[in-house]
Amino acid sequence: MVDKIKHLPVFFFLHTLILVSLIFSLPVLAAAEMAEDTQARISAEKLLFRGFGTLGIARSSSDQADFVRDLSQPKGLSDGNWSARIDSILGGQLNWQMTKELELVGQAVSRFRYNESRSPEIMWAFARWDITPDIAVRAGRIGADFMMLADSRLVGYSYLAARPSSDFFGPLFFHHFDGADMSISKPVGEGVLRAKVFIGATHEKAADMQRVWNTSGSHVGGVVLDYWQGPLQLRANVAQIRFSNDLDVSPLPDFLKAAGAFLNMPSAFSAAQSLETKDTTSRFYSLGVVYEANGFQTQAMANCIRHEAGLLQNSCAGYALAGYRSGAITPYAGISAWKSSRRNQTAGLPDIPPFANLNAIYSSVMETTRSDQRTYTLGVRWDVKPNVAFKLQWDAIRGDSRSVFPVRDEQPGWDGRTNVISITSDFVF
Amino acid sequence: MKLNSLAYWFIAFLSVIAPCHARADLVVVTGPKTGVPTLSKEEVINIYLGRYRRLPNGLPAEPLDMGEASETKKEFYWKLVEKTPAEINAYWARLVFSGQTRPPATVNSSDEVAARLMSRPGVLAYVEREKLDKRFVILYEFDR
Repeated sequence: MVDKIKHLPVFFFLHTLILVSLIFSLPVLAAAEMAEDTQARISAEKLLFRGFGTLGIARSSSDQADFVRDLSQPKGLSDGNWSARIDSILGGQLNWQMTKELELVGQAVSRFRYNESRSPEIMWAFARWDITPDIAVRAGRIGADFMMLADSRLVGYSYLAARPSSDFFGPLFFHHFDGADMSISKPVGEGVLRAKVFIGATHEKAADMQRVWNTSGSHVGGVVLDYWQGPLQLRANVAQIRFSNDLDVSPLPDFLKAAGAFLNMPSAFSAAQSLETKDTTSRFYSLGVVYEANGFQTQAMANCIRHEAGLLQNSCAGYALAGYRSGAITPYAGISAWKSSRRNQTAGLPDIPPFANLNAIYSSVMETTRSDQRTYTLGVRWDVKPNVAFKLQWDAIRGDSRSVFPVRDEQPGWDGRTNVISITSDFVF
Repeated sequence: MKLNSLAYWFIAFLSVIAPCHARADLVVVTGPKTGVPTLSKEEVINIYLGRYRRLPNGLPAEPLDMGEASETKKEFYWKLVEKTPAEINAYWARLVFSGQTRPPATVNSSDEVAARLMSRPGVLAYVEREKLDKRFVILYEFDR
């Protein structure tokens, strides 16, 4: 399947611009390196190509479900087989500083996607305008700011662990959207407060083994507040998405409606309605803290997600991660949890065939978004060179047997438990 | 005797794991036209880490960094935020690949530092005290 990204004229223009710039940037940089005079080097700084990547292999011990990095991945790891599938990523970025205030940024990334391909996708393509040192506006394709410190969750080199916590970031399969954001920074007390508002539309898809959920055209918006003071960063974040499409659970809604009409039972209609995601809103609330000093790196975040759609169970999640740097080696440990709350809605049809089957199927579909698990993490990061890090990590996932939302292709024997070992090599250039 | 040899091994172990740092006397400076007498350590952190790049008098701050292999750079960030070059690289990788704030512009020689500091107000750099140019204004001193 080919990803049909919608091209607004401005994005098309930016994409073209980026490709053309890319072709020209390498010789310019090479020439600049040879040039003796400072002026040539300063101008080369205005056009910069950078890249990042992760070569990672991992294995998950359970043969009853696939472990995935987040819910955008249709398949993951299982059966104890080593695989490079979930963590290997390659990205390139071009920054073009047009004037002191205006910058164009384009980023393309190849990673394992909803359609099982690794075809490159345009992550960012935006113009950034620093109106003043305190106010910045970005427009185009920009990152969804869910993680502390960064919009991107794909630059392995930039974070401590092998991957962002799957319990926390698993359900947040959005990485970017088309729209705009504006951030304002102000000194407050000894530190700096930054407020950011964003608005736009997504065009991403998520998938499991059977279905692709196309969220294209869903509206997103939110506010992020950050406060930095010395080694401390605090964050509060509220975001929402209004889904443009239904998740495909056909033909269940039609059957429920038909049964409801036949028996004149409103509960069956409301059950059918609870399966619709189109025109429903989901809200995301999160708080986070980072403290980095004296070689210690600690961070913790908590989130709650509230869905209007009955099909999607409300959930809360949290993680805490701490590491201590000793020379080039940073051992770390973490704990995380993700728990959803079950909805008590039933189809309410009489418990006789064929309606009993509908009741059962409805109840089981409502359980597909259930999560109830904890993850214990131990790992070590080794900064081999200033731009290369190796990581070795062990994750023990301990969950309920009905915790099926976080995994893929779960089998009847899934007991919610698996152990994941990851070895990654992360680099930036 | 036994305790002494334990202490010896403990110190030997510490000297292996503890990062080694030179002890040059570093100062943060600007040109004469900037018009700011002094900065707090927190203000220097905010400017260099790209959190807030405005000087107390409202002027935009333009920090300069030394090249990748520079010992001065290594020591500056250690004194400022106790971060190693790898940690500083990771910090900027987060922000650069998010298309957020830019890292400080890089210069490669003290001549270039001087040229940039004198070129316009608001430019900041860190230098060793013994290489201090008389025209520079000291904004922050680490060892005072």
